[in-house]
Amino acid sequence: MRRSLVESTKKKGLIESVIRRLLAVTENLPEMSSFLLRAFNHTKVKLPSQTFTRQLSTTIPLLNMFSRKALSRGAQIAARRQACLAQRRGYAAATATVTATSAPTSAPSSLTYETADVSGIKVATRDSHGPTTKLAVVAKAGTRYQPAPGLTVGLEEFAFKNTQKRSALRIVRESELLGGQLVAYHTREALVLEAKFLREDIPYFAELLAEVISETKYTTYEFHEEVERVMHLKQAKLANDVSALALDAAHSVAFHTGLGSSLYPTSSTPIKSYLSEHAIVDYAEAVYAKSNIALVGDGATTAALHRWTEQFFKKVPASPSGPLALNTKPTTYYGGEQRTAHPGGNSIVIAFPGSSFGTFKPEISVLAALLGGQSNVKWSSGFTLLSQAAATAPGVIASASNLAYSDSGLLTIQISGAAASVRKAADAAVKALKGIAEGKVSSESLTKAIAKAKFDALEASQSGVSTLLSAGSGIVHTGKPFQIAETVKSLSSVTADKLKTAAKTLIDGKATVSVVGDLHVLPYAEELGLKV
Amino acid sequence: MPSYATLAPFIVKRPWLHNLLKPVASWYANAAGYRQLGLRFDDLILEEDEDVLKAIQRLSPKESYDRVYRIRRAYQCSVSHKLLPKDQWTKPEEDVPYLSPILEQIKAEHKEKEALDSLTVIKSH
Repeated sequence: MRRSLVESTKKKGLIESVIRRLLAVTENLPEMSSFLLRAFNHTKVKLPSQTFTRQLSTTIPLLNMFSRKALSRGAQIAARRQACLAQRRGYAAATATVTATSAPTSAPSSLTYETADVSGIKVATRDSHGPTTKLAVVAKAGTRYQPAPGLTVGLEEFAFKNTQKRSALRIVRESELLGGQLVAYHTREALVLEAKFLREDIPYFAELLAEVISETKYTTYEFHEEVERVMHLKQAKLANDVSALALDAAHSVAFHTGLGSSLYPTSSTPIKSYLSEHAIVDYAEAVYAKSNIALVGDGATTAALHRWTEQFFKKVPASPSGPLALNTKPTTYYGGEQRTAHPGGNSIVIAFPGSSFGTFKPEISVLAALLGGQSNVKWSSGFTLLSQAAATAPGVIASASNLAYSDSGLLTIQISGAAASVRKAADAAVKALKGIAEGKVSSESLTKAIAKAKFDALEASQSGVSTLLSAGSGIVHTGKPFQIAETVKSLSSVTADKLKTAAKTLIDGKATVSVVGDLHVLPYAEELGLKV
Repeated sequence: MPSYATLAPFIVKRPWLHNLLKPVASWYANAAGYRQLGLRFDDLILEEDEDVLKAIQRLSPKESYDRVYRIRRAYQCSVSHKLLPKDQWTKPEEDVPYLSPILEQIKAEHKEKEALDSLTVIKSH
């Protein structure tokens, strides 16, 4: 018995020393193997060595997993325990303040992004200790910054295409092998290249994103065969989306240029003279510079992301080059009316100047929540004014939201459905808004609206697309992420009086009304009782 | 890689062989007669092939126009049983490959796709 114990401890010692050796080797392994991979891809190798690189690429995650799970289990458990503790404390603090006074709710610490400057690139990380990671390059290159129509879209479509080092096909197949997903999308302000993957594959995807922004080839044939083809398909889809057209028209009426430029060029937009692979190269040179992008990692450790950023993002130029300059005109709100005939459906957008990320107006958020639209409970139209308005006109979808941008915002009420119902609901919506301006809101609805606004803000910052996007575009615009959760504090300070004055200034000011659909039935702004 | 069997890469790699055979090759290219019709060697690549069609689509507008012009002119010469006047013959330095690099690129794409399609993932544990 005793002897066997001694033996087993001896064995343990042996195993431990072996493990330690292995650890020392595997620590440098991702770096080494990705370096090897790159080297193999770079030189033209014949099939046997290609299979080797492939084998290598599939073994990296496995090795990493092995090293993490089996070998350093003790350290891991300890780290996780600490993290859990920190997290629990954060949540407890938040709930405590809520239950105590229902006053300032602080955001849990795991929801905030840490920012740092890594060799010129602004990097934001947030680690929720999950098994997957989202990594995104957010560039200040949305449609408001494009110097000519279509450039943002063209650049977006060129993401993950042929680079100097590997083909588009290889990029896709390699990410598939690692179980990763690649997405590129744009908003009015930002262009986002995003990768979602298993936590241990961070070196591969950090390298990929760096390669895409600095080494894409922008070939002519890809432009004609892929980019233009996809653009035409998307344009065809957009041509039938009445509510998107109405929202786009509302933006162009409200802001004219800049934020007002179309989110996606319609098939009738003359872009042929502006959009070519050469123009896209120029735009890429203006956009993909260290000063103009942010790297946002959700679910990645700060140390790891910094390390890989330093290593792989070297080739990204420090400042914009090329002949094109971004259109950085500050936004002004104009307002007005636009009516477009469309056989595919009916939609109306009533919009007012809203709250921006820069200057957050809590009243506007509460107003948007109070107007609401979609009910949060089943079998009831809910407390929100728009859902009650929509209930009187069957088959209508109505919703209000505050679209926040860096230096401006748009509080929109969007209603779509059958023409007559849309008209009825729009009337009711404007009446509801005027009711708020006259102070006809019960204190109960106000409490509900504040709670809803809080929940929406916190939920949005906890998960979903908007976290990466808002953090990233916050960094590229102001140098620090827009922490939606921070705004929650100021929401509690909204009173019935403040809401009343806010609504009154909106009603008295210039509104934006855009109507798409059956113009014979759909109302003019003047008929609704709005000034344009 | 060209679409036909060839020893050219083998020969080009060996300078002595290349220097030895270069005059013969030049003589043969002239004797083949396509230069006298104002064509380039790449104009002779068979068009009835998906890859070649794709390669032709990827030509720049000017190259594509010139190609059609050369082929029409040659066809006209052939119909009228005449050669072009000597100053319009394709000069050896003009006879550069413009289509085959694109064709090679397309073939490489196919090859890569095939390799990736038939890939085997080897787990190392």
